[in-house]
Amino acid sequence: MKGRKGFGAAFAGFSGIALTLAISFAIVVALILLFSKVPGTTIFNFFIGPFRNAYYLGNMLNSAVPLVFTGLGIAVAFKSSVFNLGGEGQVYAGGLAATAVCLALPQANGFLGAVAAAAGGLAMSAVIAGLSGWFRMQWDADEMISSFLLSSAVILVVNWFITGLLDDPANNLLATLPIGPQYALAKIFPPSKLNISAFFSLAAAALVWLFMNRTHAGYEMRLCGLNREFARYGGINVRTYLVAPMVLSGALHGLAGVLSVLGTHGAAIKGFSGGMGWNGIAVALIARNNPLWVVPAALLFAWLDAGARAAMLHGDVTYEIAAIAQACIFYLVTAQALYGLARKRSAA
Amino acid sequence: MSGSSPFAIPLVHNAVGIMTPFLLAAIGGLYTELAGMLNIALEGLILAGAFFSIVFAAATGSLLGGILLGILCAMLLALLFGAVTLYLRANVFITGLATNLFASGFTIVLAFQLFKTKGVIQFPNVPALPVLNVPEALQRVPVLGDVLFGHNVIVYATWLIVLVSAIVIYRTPFGLRLRGTGLAPATIVSIGRDPRHYQLAGILISGLTCGLAGAFLTLQLAAFVPEISSGRGWIALVAIYLGNKTPAGIVVASFVFGLAESFSNWAQGIFNVPADFILALPYVITVAAMIVYAIIRHYRSSRA
Repeated sequence: MKGRKGFGAAFAGFSGIALTLAISFAIVVALILLFSKVPGTTIFNFFIGPFRNAYYLGNMLNSAVPLVFTGLGIAVAFKSSVFNLGGEGQVYAGGLAATAVCLALPQANGFLGAVAAAAGGLAMSAVIAGLSGWFRMQWDADEMISSFLLSSAVILVVNWFITGLLDDPANNLLATLPIGPQYALAKIFPPSKLNISAFFSLAAAALVWLFMNRTHAGYEMRLCGLNREFARYGGINVRTYLVAPMVLSGALHGLAGVLSVLGTHGAAIKGFSGGMGWNGIAVALIARNNPLWVVPAALLFAWLDAGARAAMLHGDVTYEIAAIAQACIFYLVTAQALYGLARKRSAA
Repeated sequence: MSGSSPFAIPLVHNAVGIMTPFLLAAIGGLYTELAGMLNIALEGLILAGAFFSIVFAAATGSLLGGILLGILCAMLLALLFGAVTLYLRANVFITGLATNLFASGFTIVLAFQLFKTKGVIQFPNVPALPVLNVPEALQRVPVLGDVLFGHNVIVYATWLIVLVSAIVIYRTPFGLRLRGTGLAPATIVSIGRDPRHYQLAGILISGLTCGLAGAFLTLQLAAFVPEISSGRGWIALVAIYLGNKTPAGIVVASFVFGLAESFSNWAQGIFNVPADFILALPYVITVAAMIVYAIIRHYRSSRA
């Protein structure tokens, strides 16, 4: 595939990342100055809003949890030079499958039931993503396009499950029936929604790093990412590493959905995963596909997201201003000329 | 698809209309594809064209003004995409995603600023797209007359664009160099030209056609719906491959997608299928078509 060879290596240093972020935030500030009638309040809430009290802060940290998982999912795929653009649908389907398992086992033991739900969600998303990898391996059908198209279809089908088959007629939300209270993950920072899944996300980042950097399979995956032809000459079964990274990536996306349902919402809510997939890509790019850096990058995006919500609530711009910031980051984060510039600046 | 049965004719007639945005986006995307760039920004370019053409049509009171300014905005977004990709040397997939996200975010932020809503925006004062008048004798031609005529002007403009594109790509020095850029950029350098110029030209042309595709979507509805492009850019991308990267092939592939959508619209009225499933169908059909094509190509190349 054109331009995709050695994709994982095509990122530049931290001064470049810093420059990217600075430019992107400057553009957001400029847009707020342009659009807002109370720019001072809006800008203040955008940057400081998420830290104003324990509730906001906890919720911001909590919203970083799924981003760690989606970021890891994308980092694993990109490191292997495999493109997974189906994150949005994979998170959503994982959350739905976990909800369905919980609803099917209303009386089960909380721990075992939650494990079963996690397994269900993980398997569902791993299969959806793995399918695109398998199409690529079998017939060389572009996994980037097929994963996006499948995810778009999956989102609509999940919508139907949430608002149709599993809909809770008792509430006005577009949400499924609530899962049993025994499945809810323990809260660690009341009154916010932050829960023990935060620890899971840290563990996941460490485990993915260990897998990629300290295991044989991880080494082979990275080698395939750097140069698939070279890896093939080295006797690596490169076909496997078109499917395996997609399966792993899908499983991590599925867990993001599972933990959102068990930890945050207690049900599958229509559109709950909106943006998690795209944000995951941004997180992985900022982290330069390093699993350990995914954690701070996820926090950064959770802050951006919470800031945009605070700016909407207390200021007068709409939440989608975050999408523009994200787009600016996407534009610049792989721009090599920009990094050349940054390097020259820092050398001088 | 027996052309003579009475229900098939409106089905095919509708398909000819529905295929228009696919065809426009795919023919524009063909220029970038031939220049060696996978253009996943088609989706965002369509959305930008859709939003700005109807906003400007309402503001200027002129359909043509709206269409031209909508196209201009889509081309400006294409310029941003192309300039960052080619001159800041950024990864074309990531900047393509950026373009889609930017279009999606920017249209909503702007809609909220201008119309105080993030939902559907109606433009009752925008006139309907005129239907092209043809002599009655032509309209009375059996089957073809029913299928080909009675569409709005953008449909016919699209056919003209496809025809012109076939000539530009295969019969002009520009087309030759564009294709050369994709096949062997070094040859373009060797004749003293910059391959990036041809790639940027391809991207700008895709902005033009996607802008028109977007205008078609909003102007025929007289409304802007958030995310109105709804995957058409991606489906167009697949149409380029299914059409073997030729204008004629793209026409056929777009027609198949148009027919599939026309058929599912018809089925929705007959069977009681949930709307979400109907909306999911184009994506499923596109993946299926993509896989079938990949399988055929795979076995052909392994036999050769």
